[in-house]
Amino acid sequence: MDAVPNREIADMKGAAALPRKNGELVFDEAWQGRIFGMTVAMSHDACFAWRNFQSHLIDEIGHAERGGESTSYYERWLHAFEQLLADKGLLDAGALDERTREFESGRRDDVF
Amino acid sequence: MNGIHDMGGMHGFGRVEREENEPVFHARWEGRVLGISRACSAQGIFNIDESRHAIERMAPVDYLSASYYERWLDRNVRLLVEKGVITREELERRMAQLADGKDPATPHSDPKLLDRMLRVTRERTPYRQPGPAPRFALGDRVLTRHDAPIGHTRLPRYARGKPGVIVRVHGTFIFPDTHAHGQGEQSHALYSVRFDAALLWGESAEPRAPVHIDLWERYLLPNAPARSTR
Amino acid sequence: MSGTHEHGHHHREPESVLSLRVRALESLLVEKKLVSSEAVDRVVAAYEQDIGPHNGAKVVARAWIDPAYRARLLADGTAAIEELGFGGVDLQVVENTPGVHNLVVCTLCSCYPHALIGLPPVWYKSFEYRSRAVREPRVVLREFGVDLPETTEIRIWDSSAELRYLVLPERPAGTERLAEAELAKLVTRDAMIGVAVVKPPAAAAR
Repeated sequence: MDAVPNREIADMKGAAALPRKNGELVFDEAWQGRIFGMTVAMSHDACFAWRNFQSHLIDEIGHAERGGESTSYYERWLHAFEQLLADKGLLDAGALDERTREFESGRRDDVF
Repeated sequence: MNGIHDMGGMHGFGRVEREENEPVFHARWEGRVLGISRACSAQGIFNIDESRHAIERMAPVDYLSASYYERWLDRNVRLLVEKGVITREELERRMAQLADGKDPATPHSDPKLLDRMLRVTRERTPYRQPGPAPRFALGDRVLTRHDAPIGHTRLPRYARGKPGVIVRVHGTFIFPDTHAHGQGEQSHALYSVRFDAALLWGESAEPRAPVHIDLWERYLLPNAPARSTR
Repeated sequence: MSGTHEHGHHHREPESVLSLRVRALESLLVEKKLVSSEAVDRVVAAYEQDIGPHNGAKVVARAWIDPAYRARLLADGTAAIEELGFGGVDLQVVENTPGVHNLVVCTLCSCYPHALIGLPPVWYKSFEYRSRAVREPRVVLREFGVDLPETTEIRIWDSSAELRYLVLPERPAGTERLAEAELAKLVTRDAMIGVAVVKPPAAAAR
């Protein structure tokens, strides 16, 4: 798998631009790095075209701004990614809710 | 001080290990420690010279077995306690509370502090300060002092009592040896001094591998040029 | 020797809902073989290290293209990088030439030009690098895959004060037609520390 940064992803502009500080990517929480990594890894593997995810992301950001939501960039990214996975039939929303409950209850405890 | 941190030239360490594609932080807490350090220095709780000396004061065995950010964490706690900002008991109590899932701290934002922290990455550093005119000039031969100060210094042990040549006059800078101990900035001339490898390491030195170190004038003595023996 | 192991005392913070959901998501995607955790790790690392726009690389590319800028950069690094909008560091730039190769280290701690090239790699802060770079630079460089002729002078800069050092690598052959932005993409963090040379484009696109 190609781990060289794709400029189309790294250099997104405008509202969809990756949060950076002094040029470096910023993940305030570990989960943000994970969701970023998952989306990009799948895109690198050609599961979907990047512009496909990017338009979901832009839509999600626009929707959140209009609704006056105080959600963070990566929270919006997560919603966009879930939406994309659902659209492509790659993941069932019900399955994700169920798996989340398993982690919540401690029935699963994998750390990534 | 003749601390374990002063490791230039030491033998016994092996190959430089490089992690392929290593993460910036190996665990989340490391990034938090970095942020806390920046917040403390932005508020003037401790200066960089104090902060380096605090790490140097770790027991050697702790220093060697700690990871980089573990040393920073030790430094933050040590200085915050020494400066009376927190006590060790308070820290232990808070750790117990968090382990129980209770967090009494209320999150709040402080845009002014954040701005000060970010300014550090944008503006010139405050270490260059006015001081007396430099004594040495480009090309001068100097000899580093042979002292073994107990406190903080930035003359590495491997370069004590060695002859060198001034290759650059940098200007005047805050003096770490005093600044780390609350004895004031005492800014004075800083130089780049070049040392021949053979004079540092003897016969085992590699050819053509001179070492350049940034050294304050108070570390240096004039070294008369060798008399020609014609 | 300078391990980055976690300490024994783990303190469990309450985990956020988002964090749990993302863990669940990764768990499912891995199960469905849509992604591997290792791939996620590699991607995060690659993008984290890619400081885009890469400040130091821009400075190097400008110096390669513009000889007058190069001269200003070598004379007063701090002022020259301010021309490009970069600050936060008192900078000394040292240039590689056919007869001279520069290498930067901080034996006493790990001083590093953060503002230009981000956070230092773990190996730069390691005891191995700090102890050996000053004494046996040629051997260390060989371990990094840089083999220099015996006639090349290796200048080691031990960053003992608040000045930070940046190596201006040699511009690789065959890049005469490249635009400044293309040149900047060739410049790596390792080349600006001095443990690598900049490869020409054909070699860089692995």
